[in-house]
Amino acid sequence: MGRQAIQFRNQMEMDTMKLFLIPVAALVLYAASASAWAAPGTVLRNEKLYSQPAASASVTATVTKGANVEILAKQGGWLRVKAGKSTGWIRLLSVRAGAGGLGGAGLGDVVGAATSKSDPSRVVAVAGLRGLNDEDLKKAQFNADELARLDAWKVTPSQARSFASQSGLVAVNVPALPKPKPEQSASPWENN
Amino acid sequence: MNTKLMLLAVSLLAFSGTAAAFDLGKFLEDRVKQELNKDKQTQPAPTQAPAAAQSAAAAPPPTKQKIDPRQLGFALFGDYSLEEENRIGSQISGNLLGAVQLVRDDTLQRYVNLVGNWVALQSGRQDVTWRFGVLDTEDINAFAAPGGYIFVTKGLYRLLNNEADLAGVLGHEIAHVTQKHHLKVLKQSSLIGALGQAASSKVQGSDPVVQNLIGNGAEIMARGLDKDAEFEADRVGMVYAARAGYIPWGLPGVLQDMAALPAKDSRTGLLYKTHPHPADRLAALGEAVDGRLDNVSGKELADRFYRIR
Repeated sequence: MGRQAIQFRNQMEMDTMKLFLIPVAALVLYAASASAWAAPGTVLRNEKLYSQPAASASVTATVTKGANVEILAKQGGWLRVKAGKSTGWIRLLSVRAGAGGLGGAGLGDVVGAATSKSDPSRVVAVAGLRGLNDEDLKKAQFNADELARLDAWKVTPSQARSFASQSGLVAVNVPALPKPKPEQSASPWENN
Repeated sequence: MNTKLMLLAVSLLAFSGTAAAFDLGKFLEDRVKQELNKDKQTQPAPTQAPAAAQSAAAAPPPTKQKIDPRQLGFALFGDYSLEEENRIGSQISGNLLGAVQLVRDDTLQRYVNLVGNWVALQSGRQDVTWRFGVLDTEDINAFAAPGGYIFVTKGLYRLLNNEADLAGVLGHEIAHVTQKHHLKVLKQSSLIGALGQAASSKVQGSDPVVQNLIGNGAEIMARGLDKDAEFEADRVGMVYAARAGYIPWGLPGVLQDMAALPAKDSRTGLLYKTHPHPADRLAALGEAVDGRLDNVSGKELADRFYRIR
């Protein structure tokens, strides 16, 4: 386990590095606050921490929705986190990475909500970068040449199948996921 | 709903028609000029109204004439045929590609098409020709259009760590096509679109009838879908990737990386305008998945993943 944990740490360190490097490349300046590799996160639902990345492992602690954690490592569908004095594995989808707290909490003020929850000192203004926006898309004129270029790159199903089998990918039967009950996703601010 | 809009359209036309013979073509042309003048960039106004507008205006409508929905363009009340779906997708994609080019990298584009087609094969939808393209912008986003057109930006591609991540992102977009999310939006707004939000000037290869239906350029891509459609695409797309033999955790991992970006990162401006916040998407996906995928394993294929410069 110890050796493994170190590997996870290294992986996490790389991931964190990347998260920091990309914004720097985009002229976004971070005032680094977190330690080198522990990324901040917020628990999205009441959950258990397990001693191993498996639901069959023993439960080491419970965490409540909204709790802050430090993300230490990632493995498949699991994150190793530190919550207060407890450390353990939690489902990947039960935590959000980043400093935005519980997050958007509803459409319409997505960016505003996220901004107000995050520490403004972490983000300094972005200079000279402007991506795709509504106006670009609205003004866009049909480009037949680019569409032809796109068409030229398409592949056939049989090419895709042989590409998949080259690396041992095999189609597996996975049932569709049910739609969760509406109130669950509608109001993340509610305590439950 | 559609009936109400119909009535509104009829009354609008009737009202306009009282003063003089109503010229929808002229009306559209004026609207186009108006739109173009709003933009700083001056472009020559189209000398001719598009064919759809002309056909709709061909017979000067007497005050009490009813509108034949078929004149206005595409099926307003039935389902879109596959041919119509392809025409709509092609027009939206051609417009999108007018706003941003494809990355000039054959190996990358071919790779994304191979992964995408393999994932799409698990969707059960065999009647469309899937086309995948990486767009040359650092913006972080992805788009789908009816008929099997899927786009990922270079900025989003840079966030990916392995082939399973790519499969998850493409699975989400493929789900928009299989669930016909954009066609449903178009059905709801088609009468408004058909009345002439505006239309593009004559451009080679452009389909004026479809353009009339979808509004200005590729603005349908800037309007986005409702959040339930996005949550559904997350659930369905994650399953497509898993069915293709990848670990199911690609898409959630990418959402985590997006959630960790600063809120004011300019590369996510349009993404957050058209999608729920990644934290909300993770929470919704978490409710749906719970322990259901605990026993699903799969491949990450980090070695085969094509990395761009």
